[in-house]
Amino acid sequence: MYRQVLHAQWLALRLPVVLLAVLAFAVPLLTVTYGGSLEGAPTGRVAEWLFAAQQIGVLIPGLALLLGLLLGIGVWAHDHAGKHVYALSLPVSRERYVWLHFTAGAALLLVPVVALGIGALIAVFSVTLPSGIHAYPLQLTARFLLASLICYSIFFAISISTKRAALAILGIICGILLADLVLSVVGVSGSVTPTVFMWLTNWPGPLSILIGRWALFDV
Amino acid sequence: MTNAIETRDLAYRAGKDFEIRSLSLNVREGSIYGFLGPNGSGKTTTIRLLLGMLRSRGGTIEVLGRGVPGAMPAILAQTGYVPERPHLYPYLSVAEAIRYHAAFYPTFDPSYAAELRRSFNIPTDRKLSALSKGEMGKLHVLLVLAQKPRLLVLDEPTDGLDPVVRRDVLSALLDFCSQGEATVFISSHLVHELERICDWVGVLDDGKLVAELPMQDFKNGIKRVRLAHAPAAAIGSPFVVLNREPAGTEQVWVVRGWEPQMAEWFGAAGAGVKEIVDLDLEEGFVELLRSSRTPAS
Repeated sequence: MYRQVLHAQWLALRLPVVLLAVLAFAVPLLTVTYGGSLEGAPTGRVAEWLFAAQQIGVLIPGLALLLGLLLGIGVWAHDHAGKHVYALSLPVSRERYVWLHFTAGAALLLVPVVALGIGALIAVFSVTLPSGIHAYPLQLTARFLLASLICYSIFFAISISTKRAALAILGIICGILLADLVLSVVGVSGSVTPTVFMWLTNWPGPLSILIGRWALFDV
Repeated sequence: MTNAIETRDLAYRAGKDFEIRSLSLNVREGSIYGFLGPNGSGKTTTIRLLLGMLRSRGGTIEVLGRGVPGAMPAILAQTGYVPERPHLYPYLSVAEAIRYHAAFYPTFDPSYAAELRRSFNIPTDRKLSALSKGEMGKLHVLLVLAQKPRLLVLDEPTDGLDPVVRRDVLSALLDFCSQGEATVFISSHLVHELERICDWVGVLDDGKLVAELPMQDFKNGIKRVRLAHAPAAAIGSPFVVLNREPAGTEQVWVVRGWEPQMAEWFGAAGAGVKEIVDLDLEEGFVELLRSSRTPAS
């Protein structure tokens, strides 16, 4: 049963999954090419190279967010379109059906993660690092996996929620933006949006994993 | 005889305008039960309640001897459901859709599915999104029949299909029923279609069960009787008066539960029976609906 669900999800989502896998593979390679050649470079040049490589690293959490979004929404898209009638007629409990979908989506998520891992390893082996600079391909891949999984779980939960819950989330977002607008109109200093953003992205906020340095190379 | 489907005082409300009220159905095991009703009468809603897709506000539902919604996975494992509109994944090919469906049903018979696919002439490698409406309808029927279910629930399975496909689908259903003891619950607003295959009929109108009776009684028991000197009321009559209308100096009554010896009741009431006309199923259906909306005095 799981194999069939996974196969069906693969058929539905293979295009975005493969595209994201290509991107995930390319980003670490871009890291080593973006900063130029390191051969015989003076110390100052190495620092520049490292800075350029770390700038490219910013793309990786963005990729994790996009991957989580596309899979979290995509695994339910066809069930939503059919108003879940087919799903509800199948002889499995709702909890099990949700779990089957979740694990199938999580398995598809591994394709870009593995691609990033391979890209990172190739990138590391293609460059001779000066002393004091270290490569972290496995750590970067593990972090990408964790970040993608967290984003996927969040969007999966939003996607499967009822219309009422989705409207509540939308209402909260609009409420925050409206509160900011009102505060700025009445001339009160302070803003709600940055506070909420900080709460989400600082530990133990759910999106804190996306923030910080995403470096394949570091000291 | 036990019931494959039994509801007691089932209640459900959707919005302000529609509700199912005190619905009590008795679908006997092994029967082919036609669930008739005009569009919007609540047939699909009732089916979704029976299959645990919607939660009722009151009453009880038992399907195949188990309570709904508590025992849903076990009930659905023995139930084949063809929805009003197909909801299969459109990006799958026919072969993939069959494999996907089969994975959920231990009783699924792949060789029977292959046999049906050949007889329905559905190409295996075609994507579901590229199938015609008729092919999609046949595929749905193929999937549920190959499950070898104890209960088949079909929600307007032939709606919008051309006559050839409709005949294929209905004959496949009848073949399946003749092989075993399956119960079939089939909803439709096409009265003539059910006339040929059903042995029981339930008529639903505006969320209310208007009648539930054997098909034979439905076909033979509804008559139009032309009367001279008709009595003012039908108090104590052995039949149910669905409608009565003046026709010149006479009156035309439409009655249900008619048997030939009942003509004597009119004689005793001082009326003369001028003519008794058999109503076809569609006319009987219309009269039932009319009487439920404006009960005869």
